[in-house]
Amino acid sequence: MTESHSKHILSIMVDNEPGVLARIVGLFSGRGYNIESLSVSEVDSDRFLSRVTVVTSGTKNIIDQIKAQVRKLIPVHNLIDITELKSFIGKELILMKLDIKQKTVLKIHKHIKNIGAKILFEDKTVIIIEFSGTPTEISGLIKKMKVYNIVELTRSGLVSMALGKDYIRR
Amino acid sequence: MMKKLSGARIVIEALIQENVKVIFGYPGGAVLPIYDELFKQNKIRHILVRHEQAAVHAAEGYARSTGKVGVVLVTSGPGATNTVTGLTDAMMDSVPVVCISGQVPTHMIGNDAFQEADIVGITRPCTKHNYLVKEISKLAESIHSAFHIAKNGRPGPVLVDIPKDIQTFETKYGGKKHTKSFAFYKPHTKPSFDTIVKFVNLLEKSKKPIFYVGGGVINSGSRASLYLKKLLKITGFPCTQTLMGLGATPTSDDQFIGMLGMHGTYEANLSMNKSDLMICIGARFDDRITGKVSGFSPKSKKVHLDIDASSFNKSVNVDLLIQGDLSKILEMTLKYIENKRISFSKEKISAWWIQINKWRAKNCLNYKNSKSIIKPQYALQRLDFLTKHLDPFITTEVGQHQMWAAQFLTFNKPKHWMTSGGLGTMGYGLPAAMGVQIAHPKDLVIDVAGEASILMNIQEMSTIKQYRLPVKIFILNNHYMGMVRQWQELLHGNRLSESYMDSLPDFVKLAESFGATGLRISKPGEMDDLIKEMIKIKGPVICDVVVDPKENCFPMIPSGSTHDQMLLGPNDKLEGEISEEGMVLV
Repeated sequence: MTESHSKHILSIMVDNEPGVLARIVGLFSGRGYNIESLSVSEVDSDRFLSRVTVVTSGTKNIIDQIKAQVRKLIPVHNLIDITELKSFIGKELILMKLDIKQKTVLKIHKHIKNIGAKILFEDKTVIIIEFSGTPTEISGLIKKMKVYNIVELTRSGLVSMALGKDYIRR
Repeated sequence: MMKKLSGARIVIEALIQENVKVIFGYPGGAVLPIYDELFKQNKIRHILVRHEQAAVHAAEGYARSTGKVGVVLVTSGPGATNTVTGLTDAMMDSVPVVCISGQVPTHMIGNDAFQEADIVGITRPCTKHNYLVKEISKLAESIHSAFHIAKNGRPGPVLVDIPKDIQTFETKYGGKKHTKSFAFYKPHTKPSFDTIVKFVNLLEKSKKPIFYVGGGVINSGSRASLYLKKLLKITGFPCTQTLMGLGATPTSDDQFIGMLGMHGTYEANLSMNKSDLMICIGARFDDRITGKVSGFSPKSKKVHLDIDASSFNKSVNVDLLIQGDLSKILEMTLKYIENKRISFSKEKISAWWIQINKWRAKNCLNYKNSKSIIKPQYALQRLDFLTKHLDPFITTEVGQHQMWAAQFLTFNKPKHWMTSGGLGTMGYGLPAAMGVQIAHPKDLVIDVAGEASILMNIQEMSTIKQYRLPVKIFILNNHYMGMVRQWQELLHGNRLSESYMDSLPDFVKLAESFGATGLRISKPGEMDDLIKEMIKIKGPVICDVVVDPKENCFPMIPSGSTHDQMLLGPNDKLEGEISEEGMVLV
């Protein structure tokens, strides 16, 4: 059977308790599912709820299986497959540290301005920039900046939200 | 004014509130405060096992034969890690178990303290849920939640890990009623009405239907069995059961066409293969059932009734899903049939029954009996014949004897058959039989065993002695790990690598050394007398039944094959080589 794989963004509302992330990650690794990106943070401090965003891929059957298995976890309140909603946005944050030399500094500044990135720190040797965008935009940025010397970079993983009023309920 | 209680005391009080009568356990440093509280009360009986794995299997036997939650109490570190096989077994077979483990005090956690193990981390994938209780205020909530989760929805094991300092701290406990938010877990139990309508439509249309019944029916409770029996009667459809489902409806019923799967009957597997409507009730299309998935029942519409959404479309795609508690689904189905005055014509399926009866006539469980050597099948047939009227509780170990027991014994009531289905745990049967016997002290409990499996938890003879449990251990002794040998013969050029059981104990003397009776026979003519004597003896008995060492278990669907490619007996040869794909399957 050669069914097509597709990418899915799952938004999962969970109790913010110790081990909850291990439950989700362990389920994925134990059952051989992919995690392409993961981001998690508390979003409701009154009710101790965290929101986990997982980007995964698989055939329809596998994606359905992943959703059913995740929903079975006791601390999981709700799971929404954002990719299945009519419209949504997905954004990621990247921090990038670039090595600067006298001859490149102007070019780099121009580049940064063009793409709309923010400068967080700068001294004589390095510059740290912040940029948020879709995964494609971020990959594009990395590709462009590769002509300079990227010292290090870090990405937050995708966070996503549906447009309109389909919000993730508890 | 509510009095303050210690954590250990709260554990006991909470167990009493959960109506726990028996717990299976083994003490140790990190649970001493709880054992101290156990000592001071007389509402809960503690059964001291000889190994923590056995505690879980005993709790499983207790749970599966009663429908209640089985409870385990163990210490930290090795005590807790020894439960892992049992918990995994309970997870795979959906058995409600609550396991309470001691833990090193909270300030020592993560320090590699003496007898410390991250048991919550270790058991995360093999429990339905687990808790590490880090604050005394969360203790009662965790225990009550554990029971709630273990028994609701698809049942499973829940572990509660309690550090020693939490056991000694004090707090107020107002009972289960006043413990907040333990019931947040609400599995989907009510099926939607329109799926019931669609379901009945399919039932009406089918000319070649088959009910494929699993352990979920038994888990759903006796009402589910009752409704299913009724539905079988109304429809007149044939019914096959999985290893876990045996006894969901009486296996002596004429509509029952045998167990299905790798060692299922010819008629059951062919009916699955050729059917036009498969009604899967509380089963999960396990690989032991389906064989090669691509050739599994290619022409049928498939309906799947289950409480667990993750069982749907996992390995086999089905046409109609009905999620809910099986007794509710079946009740609604019957009501709908009744209200709409739907009747099922027996004529429509008469050609199907003629076909099935032709398959039946093959008499696939037939074997060549002998006058000089005991055939294991014969031993079980006689056991069945001579004990059936007593409705015995049967447990098994894992291997050939287990499959023969499934094939040759009669199960007329649910909850009378305890076997390790999903995990296939050798050493399950003896401790499980203890748990069953504790729950049903007056009933006949038989562990059908092999000489290899029984040695895996043989230390429990000591528990059996201590509590005077009249468990009957029926060993089919063929001096081999029979199922391993069978696969080696079939798939590995008859190279019997490490499957011979050398240096076996003298089981008669072994029985005697634990204060039990030991009986040994090796001639078919002695079979009936042995069984009669075994039943007559009031205490525990080990029967060492020396059987044909070469007998194999048939029918068999070799791995990677489909239902219509069965081997019916030793003279049936595999068609060509087993594919590489099949060889790697377990």
